Amino acid sequence: MRRILAAVVGAAMLAGTTLASAEVVKVGIIAEFSGPFAVWGTQFRQAIEAFQKVNGKTIDGHEVQFVYRDVGGADPAKSRALAEELILRERVKFIGGFALTPNALAVAEIITEAKIPTVIFNAATSIITRKSPYYVRTSMTVQQYIDPLPTWAATEGKMKSAYVLVSDYAPGHDAEEIFINNFEKAGGKIVGKARIPLNVTDFAPYIERAGGSGAEAVYIFMPAGAPSISIIREFAKRGLKDKGIKLLAGGEVQEVFLPAIGDDVVGTISSMHYTETNTYPENIALRKTLMEMFGANAVPDIGSVGAWDGTKLIYDAIKAHGPRITGDQFVAFAKGRKWDSPRGPIMIDAQERDIVQQVYLRRVEKRDGKLVNIDFFKSGMVRDPWKIANPNAK
Amino acid sequence: MLIFTILLDGIAYGMVLFIISVGLTVTMGLMRVVNLAHGAFAMLGGYLASVMIRHYGIPYVPAAFLAAIACGALGGVAELTIYRPLYRKGELAQVLLTFGLIFISIAAMTLIFGPRPIDESMPKWLEGLVDVGFRTYPTYRLFLIGVGAALALALWFIIERSLFGARLRAAVDDPGMARAVGINVNLLFTLTFVGGCALAGFGGAIGAGILPIDPFYALRYLVLFLVVVVIGGLGSFRGSLAAALAVGIIETAGKYLVPQLGSFLLWIIVFGLLLWRPNGLLPAKTAS
Repeated sequence: MRRILAAVVGAAMLAGTTLASAEVVKVGIIAEFSGPFAVWGTQFRQAIEAFQKVNGKTIDGHEVQFVYRDVGGADPAKSRALAEELILRERVKFIGGFALTPNALAVAEIITEAKIPTVIFNAATSIITRKSPYYVRTSMTVQQYIDPLPTWAATEGKMKSAYVLVSDYAPGHDAEEIFINNFEKAGGKIVGKARIPLNVTDFAPYIERAGGSGAEAVYIFMPAGAPSISIIREFAKRGLKDKGIKLLAGGEVQEVFLPAIGDDVVGTISSMHYTETNTYPENIALRKTLMEMFGANAVPDIGSVGAWDGTKLIYDAIKAHGPRITGDQFVAFAKGRKWDSPRGPIMIDAQERDIVQQVYLRRVEKRDGKLVNIDFFKSGMVRDPWKIANPNAK
Repeated sequence: MLIFTILLDGIAYGMVLFIISVGLTVTMGLMRVVNLAHGAFAMLGGYLASVMIRHYGIPYVPAAFLAAIACGALGGVAELTIYRPLYRKGELAQVLLTFGLIFISIAAMTLIFGPRPIDESMPKWLEGLVDVGFRTYPTYRLFLIGVGAALALALWFIIERSLFGARLRAAVDDPGMARAVGINVNLLFTLTFVGGCALAGFGGAIGAGILPIDPFYALRYLVLFLVVVVIGGLGSFRGSLAAALAVGIIETAGKYLVPQLGSFLLWIIVFGLLLWRPNGLLPAKTAS
């Protein structure tokens, strides 16, 4: 009897050791899965699942497990609480996600204290990565993806004057600043501007004024969704488009939003770090996998590539350092790292831990009955202009 | 010329607010129910019309009418099952329950149609511009003004000139006395609620070019609809028309003339109006 017991215990111990060598690495994802920003959470999750389908759920036998937490909307307190829970209870090695800046900033203290590397999949305010040495960003900053647009418009685009319409909130002010600076630097003239309160629903007066200002181009920046759809429709419906005035934009005209705007949007020129129709092999793989997994209407967007690349960075780091990788090892691994993203070549800045990437200028066209963005200009690698202009801001 | 542009833009915007809010005004005046979920019916109308247009090829205007009928029917069911028990409850219970209905509508629409705004479904004949003498003006906005004016006229006739309207006004003024003289006030409530929801659905459908339809519609525009009700005066059909046009014109004028003030101008004027006339511009007479 005793011998049998000993054998059982021995076998159990052996099994225990083999189990211990195959570890589980947990990655906590804090994102907006419900509420007005639920689009982001869905994009993150689908991209992560697509990445795991292509690259497997294990790395050298170690399982990578994603633990999803819903922060709802802009809710810093909840974001912080979720980060605490993920670190203390779930024992995650990494945190990822964050569509909104306040949610991303809220975890700075905790991740610094716990040395948990945190990969920002979307939130685009420049300052974020300076708030903790454990932040790494795989998305973009607002000023980064706008940077080449005004310069191009004033030079090769031959637009001599522009009217600037931005939503009256922090990212809108950032956008206004870089557009006006770069446009004037390139020889263009700003003939007027307005900041539109976030709760405005009828944009007719703003478009009317912009149309009457004599500007050759109208630049808009606002949260993509109902407001941006309204203002672009108004631009066409008021005849500004027919008058030959150019509409310049950014994330407002990502492919996912185009059907909601309708054919009015054709001809809109925008700048972004990711164009859905680009032919990089990684992008074709991403699109194909998303369509296979989530149906023909699954269109990748900036949230998808942010999450895809964040997941890739985490995977590559685990591959290099094993499942017991520390926070500091991860950050050191990420700094200066280059790889091919679905958006094109990207790099993590060695000092700022922020993304460096190309920016694409595109025009909305109708191809095979579908509204899509088509690239016509590609910038060099762009660093976040705000960080260059404010080297010491914390 | 600027003044005419402001008037046209303001009236078009105001008409959308009027069509959606008038039902809320009358039902709030009549039943004393704070129905915060009113915008959900407008949102539903927008969704239904869009589905009918894009998936079943039904033309724009019939689709809007069908959506209105569907919203009215749903409103009737909701009145009988959800709202009726609320009439006797306090305002807090009403606010809580109807606010909860908004969240349910948001979740339901997100589940069925996804979180993004729905695809636009404007017919070709409403796109483009018309020469209105002093300038060219978007056809769609003229259409809104025309439809809003026609509906206002029809409602004026129903409420101020028909027997139904007389009973309705009597019930708003003094429900107890109305019951005493043999008016079936419960039936009146249900019919009015159905009408209000149908109008909201219709407004949501045809107003989608100005207020795009997405799951957060009912919450996003709630304050606008309530402002129209409060400024107009509870239960007052004429008040809600005046208030909706005033809100539309004031907000539009503010954006043209003093864009630096943002939405501040509208709220300061609302504030002033309510100080001056706490019961609204044209409140209904009530016994209580």
